Amino acid sequence: MDHSGSGPSPPREPERGLGAADLSDARRAQAGDVRAFERLYRAHVGRIHGLARRMIGTDSADEVTQDVFVRAWQKIGSFRGESAFGTWLHRLAVNVMLTRRAWLGTQRSRWSSDDTAIELASAPPARTDAGIDMEAAIAKLPEGARQVFVLHDVEGYRHEEIARFLGVTSGTTKAQLHRARGMLRRHLSPAENV
Amino acid sequence: MTHDVPATPRDDRWTARLSEYLDGELVPAERAALEAHLPGCEACRAALGELRMVVARAAALPAEAPAHDLWPAIEERIAGGARVLPLSPRRVWELTLPQLAAAGFLIALLSAGTMWLVSSKHPLPPVPGAAPTTGPVASGGAATLPAGFDARRYDAAIADLERVLQQHRAELDPATVRVIEANLRIIDQATADARRALAADPASPYLNNHLAEQLQRKVDVLQQATAVVAAHVNS
Repeated sequence: MDHSGSGPSPPREPERGLGAADLSDARRAQAGDVRAFERLYRAHVGRIHGLARRMIGTDSADEVTQDVFVRAWQKIGSFRGESAFGTWLHRLAVNVMLTRRAWLGTQRSRWSSDDTAIELASAPPARTDAGIDMEAAIAKLPEGARQVFVLHDVEGYRHEEIARFLGVTSGTTKAQLHRARGMLRRHLSPAENV
Repeated sequence: MTHDVPATPRDDRWTARLSEYLDGELVPAERAALEAHLPGCEACRAALGELRMVVARAAALPAEAPAHDLWPAIEERIAGGARVLPLSPRRVWELTLPQLAAAGFLIALLSAGTMWLVSSKHPLPPVPGAAPTTGPVASGGAATLPAGFDARRYDAAIADLERVLQQHRAELDPATVRVIEANLRIIDQATADARRALAADPASPYLNNHLAEQLQRKVDVLQQATAVVAAHVNS
């Protein structure tokens, strides 16, 4: 029987071919060129916004995406060109989003009597086609399972790197991934929804 | 062909391992056993197909740009002071920012207002839902206003902590800053309400206690925020 397991793949690099342009713009941005940074924004905003939508929720995705690029501007001096700019930006984005989630979680438990302070949940989008159906299903996953699923199966990170992001073991991330896939399978399977 | 487990419609033993199988994480013996099991188990084959579909659909999710252009707001925030850190940031951060942070904390800790809070012998009133303070736990309802409560001292401590936070605001993650500021706005609103009510009824123990609670809350949030600053600039 064909063994289909291919193991984890490296993070996606959807902007292949833009590496040289990205590097040039990153160097210009490091020197304070805002227009060069705008080009970087336009080249990468789709992927960052998609990550934000899936990690944080549709309602806050715009806001978090802005935060990521403001943070990238602040930190671009630390980009050394050792990896693709998209890879550097994406890792920074994951950290920004996980920090936000951690803060929200901390604050929610701390201010549990004051729900107006923190907005954690966002309503999933309407289900009109398969892609949106998948997005809606991901949005319904429990927090930990969703984070791992998005980072592994959508974004292509390895378990070891996800574990470092989240401060857990790779065994935990694997368990969360399998849990998420199982839930999505049951949610999306026509036989389960009749 | 080996069927070492029954081919039931919901074969828990193997359906729970199919995701691991997809990722090549089963040990060879387990993989062989599962591959021997699959031809005779329609449920597992269907589940495996569905899992493959989930993984494929996840990998195919598009990178969609936001519905409207976010760049103008980003550019405005960048122009508003979100500065680029210099090249070779590790050396710069190691040599200067921790020192700046330490200086900021020293200023805050040594200032009169904060020192009063740290060293005050007067217990603070309890704050529901907040971190433990040095004060007694209230036994329901409004606590008695502690002797020596002085809102001006709180204000001074808060001003010190706000100054430290403001000094390092640009170095903090914007999302973190937003959460901090959202909490502070809520507390400020409650504080303003308490002050207005006290203006009409200055002797009210409840209102005085409520004001003290809000001020202590703000100190707690600011102390938490400055701890984040310290962790950030020293990382």
